[in-house]
Amino acid sequence: MKGKLFAVVSLMMVFGLMVTACGPAATPQPAPATQAPQPTAAPTEAMAQPTATEAAMMGGIDCTGVSSGDTLSVMYQWSGAEEEKFNTIAKPFLDACGVTLNAESTRDAAVLDTRVKSTPPDVLFWPSTSVTNLYGDQMQDLTALGAHTDNYASFWTTAGMMNGKLLTLPAKADIKTIIWYSPAQFDAFGYSVPSTFAELNTLVEQMVADGNVPWSMGMESGDATGWTGSDFIQDLLLTQQGPDFVNGIIDGSVAYDDQGVQDAYAIYQKWASDPKYTVGGATGTVNTAFLDAIYKPFADPPEAMMVKQSGFAGGEIVKQFPNLQYGTDFDFFQFPGAQGMQGGADYMFAFGSSAATMAFVKYITSTEGGANWAAAGFDESPNTGAAGNYPDEQLAKKSDMLANAQGFTPDLGDALGNPFSSAEWKAIVDVVQGGDISTELAAVAAAQKESLAQ
Amino acid sequence: MATPQIMKQGRVVPWLYVLPALLVIAIFIIYPMVNTAQLSLTDHSGTGSAANECLQGQPCWGVLENYRYALTNTEMTTALRNNLLWLLIMVPFTVGIGLLVAVLADRVSYESLVKSLIFMPMAISFIGAGVIWRFMYAIQTGANEAQIGVLNAAITGVGAQPVAFMSSQPINNFALMMVGIWLWAGFSMTILSAALKGLPGEVLEAARVDGANEWQLFWQVMIPMILPTITVVATTLIIIVLKIFDIVFVMTGGNFGTEVIANRMFKLIVTNVGRSTAIAVLLLVLTIPVMYFNVKRFQEQEAMR
Repeated sequence: MKGKLFAVVSLMMVFGLMVTACGPAATPQPAPATQAPQPTAAPTEAMAQPTATEAAMMGGIDCTGVSSGDTLSVMYQWSGAEEEKFNTIAKPFLDACGVTLNAESTRDAAVLDTRVKSTPPDVLFWPSTSVTNLYGDQMQDLTALGAHTDNYASFWTTAGMMNGKLLTLPAKADIKTIIWYSPAQFDAFGYSVPSTFAELNTLVEQMVADGNVPWSMGMESGDATGWTGSDFIQDLLLTQQGPDFVNGIIDGSVAYDDQGVQDAYAIYQKWASDPKYTVGGATGTVNTAFLDAIYKPFADPPEAMMVKQSGFAGGEIVKQFPNLQYGTDFDFFQFPGAQGMQGGADYMFAFGSSAATMAFVKYITSTEGGANWAAAGFDESPNTGAAGNYPDEQLAKKSDMLANAQGFTPDLGDALGNPFSSAEWKAIVDVVQGGDISTELAAVAAAQKESLAQ
Repeated sequence: MATPQIMKQGRVVPWLYVLPALLVIAIFIIYPMVNTAQLSLTDHSGTGSAANECLQGQPCWGVLENYRYALTNTEMTTALRNNLLWLLIMVPFTVGIGLLVAVLADRVSYESLVKSLIFMPMAISFIGAGVIWRFMYAIQTGANEAQIGVLNAAITGVGAQPVAFMSSQPINNFALMMVGIWLWAGFSMTILSAALKGLPGEVLEAARVDGANEWQLFWQVMIPMILPTITVVATTLIIIVLKIFDIVFVMTGGNFGTEVIANRMFKLIVTNVGRSTAIAVLLLVLTIPVMYFNVKRFQEQEAMR
């Protein structure tokens, strides 16, 4: 009898523990770096106003040579809400020219490879220019197709050139060279938004002198820990060395243990490992989840003054503090003194040369196309026609920053891939914990060579 | 009396009986093993020779280049050192705690309660355990935040400074091993407890009659008699510990000097097939002696029957 009672009690405890164990196990893990900058989920964007969209869709669309019923095959990685936004953008063109769109959505490079080698799509949108190295011979010169290249900054057209042909132009971009802060707190302490790196440095020291913690730099992200530091350091490089230097790291002409990189790490190490400069010092930086770090400047009372994070942070702040207002309680400014922007971009390539392809390329690169892209609220359009057509203040602000930039660099880790990217994260974590910068960077430079050799 | 015809079997028939099993083993064990070994001699994409990975001015082992990485890269040497630490600490502690609980619980009336408490973590997956212990070890560094981690809440409760269990070396490695011991002590306890219960009462009785105290009884009678079982538990644990991955992956991701072999293998499988499979082969080679020992001991036991 006694044995049975114990058996029942024990069994209940086992179940009890299993139930409690399920709770924490179901806690969502922080998204890895590559998935994080997805501002499409920001609730503000959902408020895209149809009237604005319709208004922007006015204007002439050049359908030269297209006969009604022509088809256009397009391939991209977008799906769900993103695909709907693209359809909104394409609709005026399809309606005006009577073209039928055959779209295929895939994130799989192998599927793309098979298609390109058998029946290439007329137009491809892909989040990296590296496909020009693989399929450049098959791609059409966008200038020859009639693309309105004058709607794009020269750094875009220069980057898209290969063997004298313009193979790609960006369809959209999302910049992350920004810093989030609380205007209310800045007002309370009499701080103003810095516009140069020197001003930022002075502001940081002023905050420390006032007894405020300037930064919230927490970066814990499971086995991707370090990626927020990687973004921060790339912004420091863009500020101090410029976009050409960063692109040099990507093509290998600049080694990752170059003095310029070491200087950026020195600034980062100073800020990220001292409790006077960041919440919790080195321990706080490596142990605080990157999402928690976003909340700290907006908590009551605030634990820090600023957090450097991509556009998605805006959505996270609203989720955590539904009462906060964009513009007064939270806002962002460009990383002061950055000579170029970093971020993700989706590029347009053309394999076909049909009349429908030409008309579509003309439409997307035209002023109307840029305006419609902006009105759909699908990230920032690098097309100058986009200005003034965004349904969302945050997008409009980021778009202005992009329009005024002198260069654009992809994320170093994304561009170089592994083993560079994991070596970079490891070096950042070690440097925050007091590791020697030149030793750590020598290891990353070796990984950079390996990545480039692949 | 002559054996009935139906009982007579040629040399071929037994092979037919084992053929299905052999086929399954060949397809799911032998082939992947051979294929992995082949891939370990290829480059990062798994197509060209590993020698293609050599960089100018760097040491190169030619087609064995991936093994040079597996044995000399600093992250790999850290991983090898940590796996050795895991072996030296987790195996003895898990067996020791399991044995201690098995022996002590045997002598109390609430044995099943104690045993189910210790055994409960076995019902939790490695990943679940990792997540639970992340909360146990959590640290808050903000000025106005309460410690939500159980351990740090207790530590700060008595007025001490919170400890960053996951990021400060070397305690983080031991903090991770603690999770492994917590998970597997129940396994070791269950099996050792069964072995203890299986001991013939007469032998223990005889030892007591001969004047042995409980301490001598334990060390000189019980331990030698359950030694084969202890070996089974220990070898099983050695193999589990060599392959340890989930706990490290969930809790530190291999950062802060906590890297282990299997985590390196996992991290590299997508981006560098050659290196990842070379690490897999290395892991296999490390496991073989344990397997060999296990099989040999098994055969000896069979022979004794």
